[in-house]
Amino acid sequence: MAHSLSPECTPLKHAYDSCFNSWFEGYLEPAIANSQKLSEGQRNEYAKRKAEEFEQNCGAVWGKYKECVQKALKDRGLDELLEQARQDNPLRTPPSSQPRRSP
Amino acid sequence: MHFFSQTFKYDHPWSHVIIGMWHKYPNPHCTHVVTVDVVDRSVDPETGIVRTERVLGCKQKTPAWIVKLFGGSEDAFVREVSYIDPTAQTATITSVNLSLSQFATCLERIQYIPTSPCQTSFSQTAEIQARMAMWRSMADKMESWLVQRFEQNARLGKAGFSDVLRAMWETKQHEVAS
Repeated sequence: MAHSLSPECTPLKHAYDSCFNSWFEGYLEPAIANSQKLSEGQRNEYAKRKAEEFEQNCGAVWGKYKECVQKALKDRGLDELLEQARQDNPLRTPPSSQPRRSP
Repeated sequence: MHFFSQTFKYDHPWSHVIIGMWHKYPNPHCTHVVTVDVVDRSVDPETGIVRTERVLGCKQKTPAWIVKLFGGSEDAFVREVSYIDPTAQTATITSVNLSLSQFATCLERIQYIPTSPCQTSFSQTAEIQARMAMWRSMADKMESWLVQRFEQNARLGKAGFSDVLRAMWETKQHEVAS
C-alpha cells in the first residue's frame, strides 16, 4: 500500500485502506449482479444496507485517519490549494457518460 | 492548449479492474507516485455510487528553468475524484494538478467501461493549458514539457497497472485452480 504524505498518518491510512478494500471487494460483484436481476427498489435496499455497513466497519478508523491527513495537508499548505481546486471544479455529481448498451 | 488521448483494453473483467484500481500504487513502473491519501469518500445509499477524493503526491524531475521561473519543487500534488457506479458499470476518474496550478493546469479524465465479460476498455483524455497570460513561446514551451511528461507517465501507468492486475488475479485464479 502506498504511504500517506505524512509518515505519522501512514499506519492509520493502511488500516483505513484495508478496511475499505475488504468492504469494497465484498460489495462490488453482488452490486453488479443486482443491476441485472433486481428491481430498482431491491437495489436501493442493498445500496443502503452496504453504505451503513461501510460506515459501521470503517467509520471509526476513517475519523482518525481523516483528522491526521487534514493536519498534514494544512501543514504543507495543501489545504488551500485543495479548497481552490474544489471551488474551480466541485465534481460533486458523477460526470455524465455516454449512454451504455445493456450487457 | 494541448490535448492528449488514448484508448486500449485490459484483458480483465470490469470488476477486477475496479478492485485493482485501489492496488495500483506503489508501483515499480510508476515510482513518480510516492504518496496516496483519501481526503473524502462517500457511498450513496440510494444509487450505490462510490465517490472518492484523493490527493496523490508525485516526485519527478522538473526542468531547472521551470523551478527557477515558477519556484516549484520536485514535489507535486494532484487532486483526483473518482466515481464508481456498479449499476451502470462505469468508473470515471478526474484529476487536476494542485501544484503550480496558478501557472498551468493538466485536467485528466479516465473512464473504465466493460466491453465484454472479460475485457475492459480504458479511455484517457487530458487537456494541458498554460493558465496566465505568458509570453507565447514560454507558454508553448511549458505546455509541451507538460505534455511530454504526461505521455511518459501515461505509458508507465499502463505498464504498471497491467502488471498489478496480472499479479492480483492470476494468483487468485491459481489459488482457485489448485
